[in-house]
Amino acid sequence: MRHFRHLKTPYLIWCVIFILVPLALIAIYAFTNAGNEVKTLNFTLNNFIRIYEPTYIRVFIKSLELGVLTTLICLLAGYPLAYIIAKCPESSQDMLIMAVTVPTWINMLLRTYAWMNLLSDNGIINGMLGLLGIDPVSMMYTNFSVLVGMVCNFMPFMIIPIHTSLRKMDYSLIEAAMDLGANPFQTFRKVVLKLSMPGVINGVVMVSLMAISSFVIPKLLGGGQYVLIGNLIEQQFVSVGDWNFGSAVSLILAVLILLAMHFMKKMDVQVAG
Amino acid sequence: MRKYTGIWPKLYVAICFAFFYLPILVTVIFSFNSSKSLSRFTGFSLRWYSSLLNNGEVVSAVYVSVTIAILATVISTVLGTMTAIGLSRSRRVLRDAILSMNDIPILNPDIVTAIGWMLLFSSLGFQKGYMTMLLSHVAFCTPYVITSVYPKVRSLDPNLANAAMDLGATPYQALTKIILPMIRPGIFAGVLLSFTMSFDDFVISYFVSGNGVKNISIVVYNMTKRINPTINALSTIVIAVIAVILILMNIMPKLGISISDRQKNRRVIAVALVVVLALVLVSWLGKMSTGQAEKRELRVYNAGEYVDPELLTRFEEEYNCTVIYETFESNEMMYTKLLAGDKYDLLIPSDYMIERLIREDYLQPVDWSLISNREALNPDVLNQAYDPGNVYSVPYFWGNVGILYDTTVVDEADLADGWDLLMNEKYAGNLYMYDSERDSFMIALKALGYSMNTHDEGEIREAYEWLLRQRDTMNPIYAGDDVIDNMISGNKALAVVYSGDGAYIMAENEDLGYFAPEEGTNLWYDAVVITKDCQNMELAHEYIDFFLQEDVAYANTLYVGYSSPVQSVYETMQAEDYAGLDAYVPRVGHPGDEVFHYQETEVKKLFAELWTKVKAK
Repeated sequence: MRHFRHLKTPYLIWCVIFILVPLALIAIYAFTNAGNEVKTLNFTLNNFIRIYEPTYIRVFIKSLELGVLTTLICLLAGYPLAYIIAKCPESSQDMLIMAVTVPTWINMLLRTYAWMNLLSDNGIINGMLGLLGIDPVSMMYTNFSVLVGMVCNFMPFMIIPIHTSLRKMDYSLIEAAMDLGANPFQTFRKVVLKLSMPGVINGVVMVSLMAISSFVIPKLLGGGQYVLIGNLIEQQFVSVGDWNFGSAVSLILAVLILLAMHFMKKMDVQVAG
Repeated sequence: MRKYTGIWPKLYVAICFAFFYLPILVTVIFSFNSSKSLSRFTGFSLRWYSSLLNNGEVVSAVYVSVTIAILATVISTVLGTMTAIGLSRSRRVLRDAILSMNDIPILNPDIVTAIGWMLLFSSLGFQKGYMTMLLSHVAFCTPYVITSVYPKVRSLDPNLANAAMDLGATPYQALTKIILPMIRPGIFAGVLLSFTMSFDDFVISYFVSGNGVKNISIVVYNMTKRINPTINALSTIVIAVIAVILILMNIMPKLGISISDRQKNRRVIAVALVVVLALVLVSWLGKMSTGQAEKRELRVYNAGEYVDPELLTRFEEEYNCTVIYETFESNEMMYTKLLAGDKYDLLIPSDYMIERLIREDYLQPVDWSLISNREALNPDVLNQAYDPGNVYSVPYFWGNVGILYDTTVVDEADLADGWDLLMNEKYAGNLYMYDSERDSFMIALKALGYSMNTHDEGEIREAYEWLLRQRDTMNPIYAGDDVIDNMISGNKALAVVYSGDGAYIMAENEDLGYFAPEEGTNLWYDAVVITKDCQNMELAHEYIDFFLQEDVAYANTLYVGYSSPVQSVYETMQAEDYAGLDAYVPRVGHPGDEVFHYQETEVKKLFAELWTKVKAK
């Protein structure tokens, strides 16, 4: 049964042009120190050695922490929502999923500005607290404000894939499990969660990738002191003009993420098998 | 099957949606604000809606965003779905290879992908514009479609399609009647994701586009310097349109117009295609009506929100030409685009960048005999170290860097501390620094009595210690342009700002004062320069000359808020519109004040590295 095999060929060619060639260019930059001249290649590992420095390692750790935390919150808050939506009548499901997606069509920067406006010292939330006689709370430029902004922005990307896999689930399986004496928790863990695993993994991958490399939201809601890998890379490429170091940092990030994804896929196979 | 009908799930859904829609509600409310602020509501007005309609830049950006998002979604959905189906029938090795490659654009930070594609298009010799933007949007949307569709295809029983074909269906029929309907939810998710990604993308679009092609995000990001509710008005309209479509789709069945899923899909596709066709037609007609006579063209690259857009329209009318106007967020971003081979006629960078461009041979001399208004220029802004004798540059705006303080909180006597005011523990946790390594090191170096252009590593290290000490004792916020709105709302007592921004903020919040410390500060000049690529020298000089005309310079300084280099305008502003706002009048001839010089890469790397260390505790 090889009928539709050839359907992937156009994308294979596309991949080589749009993914491999630019990646090769980045890799060349990462391993050279010849400034921005590609004609004379001087191979070196200096760019990688430079990263081994407490500040940069802290930047990496902080980005990973923030990424993991954002992903976790999105998963824990988004799963129930996706589940509730999947249980709604078929006719209103598309509508609800649209309602989850629509906010992401409003420019991300504008939404972030709106959060700044809500959370700032003289902002809307503090104004309301003031009316209740509560002293203003300092919320801007903290972990809290960054997490609020990130979760609000990325949660739809968790909900959509989870919902996609829950939606076509055969609900008689749940009844069967219950009939066979499983309690609701067991049913959820062994049936629902297992069946929705492809969606969960898809959502986790998407959200964690976006969260780890994001820099605009942390910069605006966390202030300049919130240096993440994304900021570091952007700074090297745009303001310092050290493309070699920037490429090295992004190459390391890519390798770390690839490793993480490899483990995720293994988990996927285990769960599915 | 048990349905959830209890109160808790409904409440949970309500809370989640409140969280998603809260910022949007704020956006909508502030689109009706009567003042420019995005944080203080001063009264109801529709002025941003009328300014939106008059803003040609925004209107064309909407066109670009919508058509690119729809086209990219359609193409990448078809490409991605084909690939996902093809992959499920392929050998494992090839499948894994393609899936891994497919992950790369998703997992790479946008900026890396963007630079990669920018290099690719430049080396292939593509003209940057609409096509390059579309190609890259397809390239970054397709992976999302594949990741959404592929799991669905994988969970599909391959025997179904085989059975259909055994029963006499052609492969095409098996595909459209069996496979596609079964993976529909995956395709739907892919469509939503790619439209969303494409519609909201900034970084990639910015680096791969050019020649005046801009989407909404690019316009918004370049507005951040002077963000105003025009863009909120735009978002409100977008929300209203989406809401109307959703409501129509929802009430149609109730009105007895029942449509099946199949019909619904077709209808959605039909509507999308009609929208694209209509937009293409409109733009084509627009080009036909304006482009009949061969018009002269001028490609101008300026900082965002750094010109009164009405003046550009006026210039186009008076000189019968077309200005292709693009904007950048920082000098460095501009330089990155030049490096990638983008071509412009006129640039408007800052002093140190002009010095660099002169050294690296990007510029050609200005023919001053063609500048009839040259006598109008303030002699104080001419003949500076970055371009002695103004061979290459004509000043555009100028100013310095100083401290903005809240007169109700800050003791006047403390101002005598100069830059050390930023170290006064009375104001700990109550100040904004500017998140820029050069400006922050300038402050520290000046506070220590050194030159801000020093190359001496010992002095730089001392300044680094100063900044570390300040970070630990004062706990400052390292803000970007958000400082403007924050200071207008009076969130903190002290802020480091550019004088032009200071004047603008002071005009909105009367409690503030501005001063440039005695130890000296950064005096800066932004000027117009002509590139070596310039194709129409005559028009380029006419543009420069136009902006030195008294009425034009006046309108421009009033709009932007920065200090005009035209002497008479500068004096009028001090006497009338900005009377009493010290920040509009940069100090001249102070011995401590300096202009930034171009930094060698090694020094720059050191500054950047130390600044990262200061910020990332």
